Amino acid sequence: MNAFIGFIMGPMVWISAMIFIFGLLIKFIFIIKEVREKEQYLLSYMTVRHSLRSICAWLIPFYPRSTRLRPVYYGVSYLFHILLFVLPVFLFSHIVLMDQSLNLSWPALHDGAADILTLAVILALVFFSLRRRLEPDVRFLTSVKDHLLILMVLLPFVTGFLAYHQVFLYEWMVIAHVLSGEFLLIIIPFSRFSHMITAPLTRAYTGSEFGHVRHAKDW
Amino acid sequence: MGNEASWDWNTDLKEIPVEEWKERFNWVEDFQISPDGESVASIVNVDETAFQVCVNGEVWDNAYEKIWGLKALPDNGFSALVYDGEEWTLARDGEEWSGRFDFIWDFQVTPDGKYLGLAFQKDSEYGMVVNDLPWDQTYTNMAGMTLSDTGTSAAVVQAAPMKAADVDSFKEGLFSVALNGTAFDHTFLNIWDLSFDATGRRLAWGVRLNREAYTVARDDIVWDRTFQGVWKPVFLTPENVLAPVRESGKWKLFRDNEPFWKRGYDQLWKITLSPAKGDIAAVVADSFGKWTVAVNDRTWDLTCDTMISDIFYSADGSCLAAVFKHKGLWNLSVNQTPWTLFADKIFTPGISPDGSLVAVVIEKQGKYHLAVNNRIIAGDYDFLTAPVFSPDQSKILVKGIEKGIYKRRILSV
Amino acid sequence: MNENDAEIIEEATDEAVEKGLERLTSERISEVINQVLHKETGARFKAYVDTCMRCGLCSDACSYFLSNDRDPRFSPAAKVKQTIWEMLDKKGKVSKDFLRRAVHIAHLECNVCRRCSMYCPFGIDMAYMMLLVRRICHKLEITPQYIQDTVNSHSVTMNQMWVKEDEWIDTLQWQEEDGREEFEDLRIPLDKQGADIMYSVIAPEPKFQAGLIYQAAVIMHAAGMNWTMPSRPGWDNSNMAMFTGDNEISGRIARTFFETAAKLNVKRIVMGECGHAFRSTYDVGNRQLAWTMAPIEVVHAIEFYHELLTAGRITIKEKFSKKVTLHDPCNVSRGRGLHDMARKIVAMTCSDFVEMTPNREHNLCCGAGGGVINCGPPYKKERMRNNRAKAEQLAATGAEVLIAPCHNCHSGLEDIIHHYNLNMEVKFLGDVLFETMEKKIYRPGE
Repeated sequence: MNAFIGFIMGPMVWISAMIFIFGLLIKFIFIIKEVREKEQYLLSYMTVRHSLRSICAWLIPFYPRSTRLRPVYYGVSYLFHILLFVLPVFLFSHIVLMDQSLNLSWPALHDGAADILTLAVILALVFFSLRRRLEPDVRFLTSVKDHLLILMVLLPFVTGFLAYHQVFLYEWMVIAHVLSGEFLLIIIPFSRFSHMITAPLTRAYTGSEFGHVRHAKDW
Repeated sequence: MGNEASWDWNTDLKEIPVEEWKERFNWVEDFQISPDGESVASIVNVDETAFQVCVNGEVWDNAYEKIWGLKALPDNGFSALVYDGEEWTLARDGEEWSGRFDFIWDFQVTPDGKYLGLAFQKDSEYGMVVNDLPWDQTYTNMAGMTLSDTGTSAAVVQAAPMKAADVDSFKEGLFSVALNGTAFDHTFLNIWDLSFDATGRRLAWGVRLNREAYTVARDDIVWDRTFQGVWKPVFLTPENVLAPVRESGKWKLFRDNEPFWKRGYDQLWKITLSPAKGDIAAVVADSFGKWTVAVNDRTWDLTCDTMISDIFYSADGSCLAAVFKHKGLWNLSVNQTPWTLFADKIFTPGISPDGSLVAVVIEKQGKYHLAVNNRIIAGDYDFLTAPVFSPDQSKILVKGIEKGIYKRRILSV
Repeated sequence: MNENDAEIIEEATDEAVEKGLERLTSERISEVINQVLHKETGARFKAYVDTCMRCGLCSDACSYFLSNDRDPRFSPAAKVKQTIWEMLDKKGKVSKDFLRRAVHIAHLECNVCRRCSMYCPFGIDMAYMMLLVRRICHKLEITPQYIQDTVNSHSVTMNQMWVKEDEWIDTLQWQEEDGREEFEDLRIPLDKQGADIMYSVIAPEPKFQAGLIYQAAVIMHAAGMNWTMPSRPGWDNSNMAMFTGDNEISGRIARTFFETAAKLNVKRIVMGECGHAFRSTYDVGNRQLAWTMAPIEVVHAIEFYHELLTAGRITIKEKFSKKVTLHDPCNVSRGRGLHDMARKIVAMTCSDFVEMTPNREHNLCCGAGGGVINCGPPYKKERMRNNRAKAEQLAATGAEVLIAPCHNCHSGLEDIIHHYNLNMEVKFLGDVLFETMEKKIYRPGE
């Protein structure tokens, strides 16, 4: 058991981080390679300027009309995505682990704040899940897979939250937290979570077609 | 042509004032100039719905309700499509054909000027007429009319009737090729780009057999292989046909059903044969948006970003000129070397028989200029037409309009 | 099971679709689907499929969704779900009933207007996906009859409406004669080598609306332009093959068009008020042929009128006084950003203008575009139902005159106005310009 815990807390963390990083990187390289091989012509319509113009426009909260039409969903989604990165990276206990293993550290979030923000992420995920059931058009698009994806993100946050508060089965919670976190990292390059890298690419392409070719805005 | 030797190559300048025509007539249409430069002609309006053709200030005897398609002929005469009494015919130097039609168009002339061909419609039936001889058989629909250099004629004709929006009949293939009015046996879904051999007896064309399969037919016999696309075939010899075809997403040059060039291109068209040396040239896109010329499957050291509109060989095959557009401006490249014209428009280049001289009319900011071997030798015309080299290649005939005067100039080169 | 997942049984309304389906075998179906989805696409398609998070933000973009009381089936992503996702899931082994529904979704429930790619946070081009479905239908020979007939016509005549070659020239000559009522020496110069401009139209003009050619000739003549029109095929700038997925014919049409202009040595091509034709010549047909952009500049009538007015080549005698509003055609606003230029022309020619909202890139499609109206009479009722949002948008303006600088829009909007009793008159910008312009010939310096 200890060996197992040692493995998932040690090498497995690195393995999953590597799969996450290199998985996305390889995916990116494969996309570019395939575009060059099969649809090279698309690149002649892409410009850095119009790619960035579109990506930036879509990063400004409530700037695109689409986001103003569904402000609640968009607002929650915007915060959720920020927290998804901020929380794990700036969580005190994560930084302590980094310090121990790599001698690297950076300023941490206040524990109380992190706690509230974790709750916010959990609530956002619950909101997403409910929305998938309640909004007819989203419901029509939703399959079991979409709920599973939500669950995969939910697990590390819920287990982390419970572990922090040591509500019950502390050790098991920690194990579940670590495992679900690692699983999430591993699954990202192989699932629709890879929109982390594909979305900027599709946005850049559409932004270029709209901006560079068609002289129009795409937000 | 070929009778340039008899032209006047000694008088430096001959002038015909044309500005005054505008006072004589209600209006004057576009000028046409004879190959030898001795005559300038235009359709002119003389009265309400009364038109005439004016040649060097003299009008043809007859006036017509409508005239269009005025053309200078290789024998230095003029021809036009004329309409009177609800009938159309062709008038050559004022003399009318005997045939009368409900409509005529697509006026074609053989290079030697011996044959004049037209498409006609009479009683809603379609056919071609060559030197006043209409096809015996006519059809309900016709496209792709082609006149060979020897005066034979062919077109794509509709061989079976089709009701409005009848996609089922269409699917069966309704179109055939008619040669001199007689349709071949086979019908196809689509037929394009009729192409005669030099004798005008053999005929090749591109076909679409079904939604996805394209190929080539020679004298109504189709190649075995099918492709994703086909462009105009060309007779390499009386027995061999070349055609650009698309296979596995790339355009390739095939000869008689077999691959001929090894390379595949993003685009490959305008197959042009060197008359003397047997070289084969084509306009190609090496990759998407990057245009160049390929000669015998080897590409030129020239890349243009917009278009190569045409390529031309000299009679001896030593010179190949490409008219191309790069970064929005037109230019000429001769044997891979781009000129420095950067024009708004560039017209068909003339190449001396030995390939040593290339002349081309260009337009820059509304003014016409003549360039020979990348040097502007005459300029600021309001209009210029194709220049001609003297048989000994020492002189060039320049034909243009300057300040209301038509000028025939002989310049030394 | 979600009640929305219940399969919709599509009625058999189209003979061409039905006969096409009859001919199909399951092997042929999966062969074509897999060929198109796997061989003819690449990383872009995969990224679109993999990136979509099923968030539904695209729903509000779609006028079909808005017109049908937010029926989830009309959400753009839902259209992809009901076609592409399913084809991918089943590896192409789909039923004929599925295909009948797919034909309908791709041809009649989507105008390929690309509004949804502006509403998707990831910019997924769902119009591209619908065009892929249409390409599959084209290869399976189950494209709706009337639009297929236009493509058949294109393939034979290089124009959309079986206009015969003599009819075309005859119409131009007849319009030239009529135009001489405005200017006695007016000409429609045919095949004028070296003219500055080749003027080009879509086939419905000579077929049904020859007066528009007359108007264009008057405008050209008054503005003193050096222009021409080709007598030979290549005069029609429309391209329905682009909308049925017959990319090969689409390319052939584009080649004929640009080579006609190149043969005439013109500097640029000015085209009448048509949106899809602009999309085809400006942006689509060229790509099929490896031309990055149109090899000869294509100028839409909006740009051209704007140029004539700002250069003073056309002056306005008296502004149009009725209350007007402007419909932004998708293919020239989202497709080319000409919406502000169109407004400037309206400001120069009309005194009472009211905006239609949403507008510019966010305009709602007329509901006729993208080949939908070309699927013909069997679908008109349905089209009217699907255009309710547009009707409401029009009604809210309270305008008497609706300016729509696009042929498809024009026809579609006329239908909407009749169906919803909106009491509006539809005009082209050219109509307004023709009515308000000074009928005198431009002389530089005057």
